[in-house]
Amino acid sequence: MKRMILLAALAVTMPAFAAPPAALSPADVKTLIAPPSKGVRVVALWALDCAYCEENLSALARWQHQHADVDLVFVATDSVGQRDLLSARLKAAGLDAVPSRAYADATPDRINYLIDPTWGGETPRTLVIRADGTRKAFSGALDAGRIASLMN
Amino acid sequence: MSRLSFLASLLLAGITSVHAEDMHGMAMGHEAPLGFDATIDKDGHLWVVDTLGEHVRARRSDDMGRSFAVSTIVNPTGEPIYAEGENRPKIALGPKGELYVTWSQPRKLPWTGFVRFSRSLDGGAHFDAPTTVHADRAEITHRFDSLAVDGKGNIVVAWIDKRDVEAARKLGKPYLGAATYYSWSTDRGAHFAPERKIVDESCECCRIALARAPDGSIDAFFRAIYGDNIRDHAFATLPVGGTSPKVERATFTQWHIEGCPHHGPSLSIDEKGTRHAVWFSAADGKATIWYGQLTPGAPPSHLTTIATAGASHADLLADGTHVWIAYHQMSPAGLDLVLRESTDGGTTFSEPRQIAHTANESGWPKLVLWNHRAFVAWNPEGQFRLVPTEALQ
Repeated sequence: MKRMILLAALAVTMPAFAAPPAALSPADVKTLIAPPSKGVRVVALWALDCAYCEENLSALARWQHQHADVDLVFVATDSVGQRDLLSARLKAAGLDAVPSRAYADATPDRINYLIDPTWGGETPRTLVIRADGTRKAFSGALDAGRIASLMN
Repeated sequence: MSRLSFLASLLLAGITSVHAEDMHGMAMGHEAPLGFDATIDKDGHLWVVDTLGEHVRARRSDDMGRSFAVSTIVNPTGEPIYAEGENRPKIALGPKGELYVTWSQPRKLPWTGFVRFSRSLDGGAHFDAPTTVHADRAEITHRFDSLAVDGKGNIVVAWIDKRDVEAARKLGKPYLGAATYYSWSTDRGAHFAPERKIVDESCECCRIALARAPDGSIDAFFRAIYGDNIRDHAFATLPVGGTSPKVERATFTQWHIEGCPHHGPSLSIDEKGTRHAVWFSAADGKATIWYGQLTPGAPPSHLTTIATAGASHADLLADGTHVWIAYHQMSPAGLDLVLRESTDGGTTFSEPRQIAHTANESGWPKLVLWNHRAFVAWNPEGQFRLVPTEALQ
């Protein structure tokens, strides 16, 4: 019985998406960047080598907490083969409750291009997609002020 | 002998699997990383380094990459290795047939690494046990190594180093990016000099380009930080011994980004001392590969847009008045290996020409020279090949 309670407690405290990053294949990109049915989808691209990326992900996660209409997804440009390392990095930064993907390719260039052909692959990169189909993108770390101007 | 090498490979396979178990859960690197480097020796043998799990592999081809006559594991005792993107293993040749190899070894904490070195003095039959190039052993970034041999046979290794970031943090002082350091060996890699700083506050995620000047010295061209996160490039000659390098700004694209470009430059210096270079910038949101001739301290001359959206990882080689630029060009159909060529010393370039294609992926292209002919080393889907640059007539 005690074990049952413990399991139940664990289930409750587990964040909804504390799973390793799911693979993002080239075929998945179309759905990832499709306009949401309502609100705003924010695709936050990051990389293990990028020392600016975690602060960017944190700033976006904080923004999402205050804005219920924001659908946020983290996408690592590193290969999903590094899912354990990616997962550990997100968990250590307290960011593992956000849905997360990682590239299914060994080099990022193809999926970078499919997401945004004008993007050179620099990170962090934040893509804002609205329900009306309009898009905005920004390269570099965002703070609350910059997020606000990107969203408007 | 063949039985012996079979036994050796079995033994090696055993070592690999033991370490794979040790590293379980750390997942250091992709299962099949594509990072490689290549060069051609004075006898026309092609040398290629890449990785097999936790091992760096050096191979020699006597038929321009069609097959490999020699394949030697550089580090029989496995260790984690960065082998992707800007962090590939490197190979350089000494004047007496020495083979020098460097790579970056990830440590346990994020963004940490050591620069590792090994050499072969017997034509690649075996390599010495790897050593760590830098005296500093703090668990911080010493990564993104670059390797070159100067005109006297001295080895020069440069890398990105975060010791000054840590020192600034302890003092509560701001510090942008990381520092760039280098060291050298005057005894064929038996010892390396205590490392020396090239510059503070440079970019922390782009490979460093090294090239030999006509006087035999090694010049560095790398992404630095100017003002508030303007990520342009610096140029410095790296003295072996003597004085500290003089570092001067060499590109002026004014690209502002608080982030990681993941695109290092390339440099090649012709017999007259003209410094031909390519670099990447996305100033004003326009991803561009630029060509220019560096005049450190002032903007480059002969600025040319080589490629724009979807282009990446350009490599450059100069020989006399011939300049070749090879780069990756993505399209909805896949990845093209594209060449632009100048026969007038970089004044004008040919239109872009696709010289190879893959529907999948490849490590970054590397130009190599043999008898004044250029070839592009490439490994689409992990299959190494040497692509000729000459157009079919």
